[in-house]
Amino acid sequence: MRRLFLLVLIAAGIAAQLPGQLLQLRITGLDGLAAKAKESVDITLDSNLLQMAGGFLAGNGKDKDGKDLKAVLAGLKAITVRSFEFNEAGQYRIEDLEPIRAQLRTPGWSKIVSSQKKDEISEIYTRIEQGKVVGFAIISAEPKELAVIAIEGSIDLNDLSKLGGLGVPAIAIPDQGKKGKKE
Amino acid sequence: MNLDDELRAALRREDPSPGFAQRVVARAKSKPAPRSWFPKMMWATALAAMLVIGFGAMSEYRENQAERAGREAVLALRITAEKLNSARDKVIRREN
Repeated sequence: MRRLFLLVLIAAGIAAQLPGQLLQLRITGLDGLAAKAKESVDITLDSNLLQMAGGFLAGNGKDKDGKDLKAVLAGLKAITVRSFEFNEAGQYRIEDLEPIRAQLRTPGWSKIVSSQKKDEISEIYTRIEQGKVVGFAIISAEPKELAVIAIEGSIDLNDLSKLGGLGVPAIAIPDQGKKGKKE
Repeated sequence: MNLDDELRAALRREDPSPGFAQRVVARAKSKPAPRSWFPKMMWATALAAMLVIGFGAMSEYRENQAERAGREAVLALRITAEKLNSARDKVIRREN
């Protein structure tokens, strides 16, 4: 009986973990690229680290940027960034992105921006659950640059644009009829 | 008395006085036991020092981890913003 109870408990634990794992985009197939890249960025921040980062930056700086950043991070559960910059073209194949793009074709994800040229891809996907954006992903592939970004949670682009003091470029938000609003 | 005789006299075998062994044993038994508080104090001090060092190291580790996470979060948001802008520019260029 005790063993059965333990099994039920473990199963419940696994079930509780499942939605998070399903949502989380697994960035695979890019492992060998860092060695070929001139510069590479590999960032994985889970909710604990994001909370710590927000607390540190807001508490340490005690300035507006730190508080704005904390507000942006508060809406996030995880950030994963893999970015590579190469000296020359041809260091990766578009097919290397297929495992990631295949995940983004599963139900729940919607492609909202797609721009594809011969050797360039720019795609933005969002994941919507119960009418709320719960994550988004960006794939940006250029001959000498490749970036895959997965963000779990939601970001207000207006809030992100407030982080100019931290070197975050302002997002050029399309005009939505709010004339006179700064980009 | 010459030197040889003096040495011989000084180094001659002599039995201890009666009851010598008993007196030695009695004195050894009467020697006070080492104070027991000293090792306890030493252990307590060592433990306290270890705790202080441990908490200090852990606190510094967490602070470093938070600082690194902060830097990475800013970099991640910077790359995100750049790529969003880049995607937007490409779409606009294509439409034009």
